Amino acid sequence: MKIWNFFPREALYECYQCARCTGSCPALEVAPAYGPRETILKCLNLGHEAVVQDEKIWLCCTCNVCEDRCPQKIPISDLLVALRNSAARRGNIPGKLSIAIELLAKTGRSMIVHQLDEMRAHHGLDPLPPAPVEEIRQILKKTKLNEVIDF
Amino acid sequence: MKDKPELAKPVYRDGDLRIGVYVCHCGKNIGGVVRCEEVAEFSKDLPNVVVSRDSLYTCSEPGQEQIKTDIREQKLNRVVVASCTPRLHEPTFRAACEAAGLNPYLLEMANIREHCSWAHLHDKDLATEKAKDLVSMAVHRAALLAPQFELTVPVKRVAMVIGGGVAGIQASLDMADAGYKVYLVERSGSIGGRMAQIDKTFPTMDCSICILAPKMSEVGRHPNIELLTLSEVKEVEGHIGNFRVKVLKKARHVTKECTACGDCTSACPQLAPDEFNAGLSIRRAIYMPFAQAVPSRFLIDMNQCLNNQGIVACDRCFQACSNKCIDFAETDRMLELEVGTIVVATGVDVYDPTALTELGYGRFPNVITTLEFERLINAGGPSGGELIRPSDRKRPEKVAFLQCIGSRSKRSNPYCSNVCCMNTVKDALLIKEHWPETEIYVFYIDIRAFGKGFEDLFQRARREGVTFIRGIPGEIIEDINSGNLKLLGENTLLGTPYRYDMDMVILSVGIRPRSDAGALQRLLNLSTDTDGFYMEAHPKLRPVDTTTGGVFLAGAAEGPKDIKDSVTQASAAASRANILMSKGEVKVPAITARIDTNKCVACGMCARVCPYHAIEGSKDLGYYRVIEAACQGCGACVPECKFEALDQAHFTDAQIVSQLDQALEKDPNSKIICFACNWCSYAGADFAGVSRIQYPANVRIIRTMCSARVSPDWIERALIKGAGAVLVSGCHPADCHYNNANQNTLKRVEKYWKRMEKLGINRDRLRLAWISAAEGAQFAKVIQEMESGIRKLEPKAIEVAAEALTKRKTKKVEGS
Ligand SMILES: Cc1cc2nc3c(=O)[nH]c(=O)nc-3n(C[C@H](O)[C@H](O)[C@H](O)COP(=O)(O)OP(=O)(O)OC[C@H]3O[C@@H](n4cnc5c(N)ncnc54)[C@H](O)[C@@H]3O)c2cc1C
Ligand code: SF4
Ligand code: SF4
Ligand code: SF4
Ligand code: SF4
Repeated sequence: MKIWNFFPREALYECYQCARCTGSCPALEVAPAYGPRETILKCLNLGHEAVVQDEKIWLCCTCNVCEDRCPQKIPISDLLVALRNSAARRGNIPGKLSIAIELLAKTGRSMIVHQLDEMRAHHGLDPLPPAPVEEIRQILKKTKLNEVIDF
Repeated sequence: MKDKPELAKPVYRDGDLRIGVYVCHCGKNIGGVVRCEEVAEFSKDLPNVVVSRDSLYTCSEPGQEQIKTDIREQKLNRVVVASCTPRLHEPTFRAACEAAGLNPYLLEMANIREHCSWAHLHDKDLATEKAKDLVSMAVHRAALLAPQFELTVPVKRVAMVIGGGVAGIQASLDMADAGYKVYLVERSGSIGGRMAQIDKTFPTMDCSICILAPKMSEVGRHPNIELLTLSEVKEVEGHIGNFRVKVLKKARHVTKECTACGDCTSACPQLAPDEFNAGLSIRRAIYMPFAQAVPSRFLIDMNQCLNNQGIVACDRCFQACSNKCIDFAETDRMLELEVGTIVVATGVDVYDPTALTELGYGRFPNVITTLEFERLINAGGPSGGELIRPSDRKRPEKVAFLQCIGSRSKRSNPYCSNVCCMNTVKDALLIKEHWPETEIYVFYIDIRAFGKGFEDLFQRARREGVTFIRGIPGEIIEDINSGNLKLLGENTLLGTPYRYDMDMVILSVGIRPRSDAGALQRLLNLSTDTDGFYMEAHPKLRPVDTTTGGVFLAGAAEGPKDIKDSVTQASAAASRANILMSKGEVKVPAITARIDTNKCVACGMCARVCPYHAIEGSKDLGYYRVIEAACQGCGACVPECKFEALDQAHFTDAQIVSQLDQALEKDPNSKIICFACNWCSYAGADFAGVSRIQYPANVRIIRTMCSARVSPDWIERALIKGAGAVLVSGCHPADCHYNNANQNTLKRVEKYWKRMEKLGINRDRLRLAWISAAEGAQFAKVIQEMESGIRKLEPKAIEVAAEALTKRKTKKVEGS
């Protein structure tokens, strides 16, 4: 997959390394080592081949705050999505994430919450309807995730 | 002046023509791409060429000597120099011709650098072929050139300076000291500009108003300076040496007798934010802009005064004034002034950071700008020089500066504002000087300390304990109870996130062109660069001239700069204006329109389009004529004449047609003919070259002064000859250098499109593009697009179109 089909490569050169993006990033709250500024710098100095090996790119939640504040209007989350796509196609998916996907394919949910129905009942909610597992599997297959993760 | 000027005719018959061609290598600039020897060799076979040479630098002394020698010894009577843009060296080579006894208008230039070698760096063959074409076009045009004699017009020994900041003050004093009368037009109630607002100045830490005030008073009492405050330029007519300017002088409502005692102010019930203190304090409706204001007189802000409805509802100030110098009835006046030169020094606005919501400016009281800080720390400011923060008037113990706010950003101003780094260093040192225990943090991307004494100041700040942290905060969060501010960001050098708690945050805001800079730009026919600052005639060699003769630039209006650079430039501008005024006369280019009164049928069509009312005549008189001194040489009138009675000197129909025909000699279907106006689009193409922006080599540019000179007949001729496409390009509509003459361009092109449509010709083959002198990339883009358009064209379609146009033309001739 060509990353530069999904993110304009020249935009990298416009980055000032001002770090407004990292300073705005909510992922920083949970993983202080992560930052979009650093991702851009690594793309520039080490090349994207090295960046797709980096587990940190999976910390972005594509909230777009960085993009909103970047003085150079660099589409940062597009870059992260492209990098992750490329990483996934090479099989570089963090273990926890592949488990979640596997679970999703098998149960239609990415997370098993114990006593979910009791909790919902406590709040006056009906139990969740069964997940459309087959439909979800088809969607996942369309994205070709089954080529990287067995489910 | 003669009553019936004759159309200038070529003085030499074909057989007598002796043309010399000089192909310049310009070192490797041209020679590294274009095979200049080959071009010179090729030129030998062009008609009437008797000498053809290539040289390393034609503009050098030996290069020019060669031309002069050849003129004398080889009896050359036309010279063609193929080199850089005529906008650079035409005066040089014209002077060389004149020195050897040849009329300077018998020189022609082929632009093989900006329009060729620099724009087609990677294809030597194509570039060389294009250069040959350009030289051939020039040689054919040269054959039709005629000697011209320039008119000398007197220069009024009176100057006008627009804007009374430090630059305007310096320019006024320099010209007044040289003995010339100066009108200094200042919009606000006092001169002084931004410098009057600043507390200290970097890099020397002088007290700003202390060094400025003496200059301001000197302006006030100088016998040669007439200071017009509360005044704005509304209309400008005329040209170099003789401008007629209408200035609106607004009523001050306080007469000259005012002694600035201030009794009136305390009586006034009306309050308004004080602009001079950046809105941090309150003034009355009757007020003095600031203590050192010049003129030292109060004024009434009629937007605030209770008497602004035309009736006297309040007269408290009038009663309080013992001198009785308050005049509610005074009215605005329109002054009409005649001046020879104009210096524009309107300065800059300061960026308003409200739009950057994550920083909280406007919402969090303790987030302020550097301009507000200057007032806050000034002894004459709202806090009497005490460093306090707005929320609780307590002295902040931890202060942060944020750099590049509103600068270096696609969201605001893309350029570096040039003064904010050093301004912050200065401000940080000022705080340290008075309150050394204050913790100061500067969050930056780069610290630009490039000027004399700047690095020293920066190092001093570091030694005195100012902390510099690389990485701008992404967000500021306010603690509602304390008013303190939490800064979230990343220290990029450590690669670690930070959170700092600060008492006050100062945003180092950038500077930007005045929001109304466009109005003056249009009045004076100035150009602006892509950032919106007024553009100089040449960035290196004519840095204070504009493309409008007699108009000069000074100070930050031309680009972000500090006080020293503003003053330097102001003196330079004054000196340029002084040269004109001390000479007392100036030659104007002999490119005026001329009417052959024998052919003129007095229809008056030409007079209708002339933007300068330079054509007069009547049916009774039997003809129209051009007033040479008033004609600015745009050529807009020429295409109007249906009787071939009107032509423009040095840009005659015959000359342009000869260029056109040569451009389409070979392989016309693949060619783009581009008509480009001298001021914007030709300069834009030059800029593309200077920036080394590459575009297809099949475009052939023909220069006219204004796009309105472009005759539909030329477009038609190009299409009949099989040109793939024709581009008509000029200044953006409001920026036309000839009083909106280019409205005619639009009208004529639109009319021609209709004609094309009627005849079933693909209208995309004629394009109209407004390209400014700063839009090199836009020029390249347009050519790129036209080139791909041509590729899709069938040769058959071009042929059919040409036939249709020819048929129509012959029918028209027969019919008439
Ligand atoms: C916060 C801040 C701090 C700075 N600190 C320093 C420093 O420490 N040292 C330093 O060297 N530089 C400093 N500078 C830069 C300095 O202010 C400028 O270099 C300088 O003011 C430029 O002078 P000027 O005359 O070109 O423009 P201005 O000072 O902007 O003056 C322009 C004048 O023209 C008037 N005007 C505008 N439009 C019109 C019009 N259409 N008609 C009539 N009049 C008009 C305005 O009212 C104004 O009086 C600082 C700038 C800022 C914003
Ligand atoms: S905010 Fe934009 S310019 Fe600044 S470091 Fe991030 S990507 Fe680069
Ligand atoms: S889009 Fe991703 S990188 Fe950008 S701020 Fe949100 S989480 Fe951080
Ligand atoms: S001078 Fe400094 S703070 Fe101002 S825009 Fe340039 S780099 Fe940024
Ligand atoms: S239209 Fe232009 S060229 Fe013609 S007379 Fe007027 S100013 Fe001169």
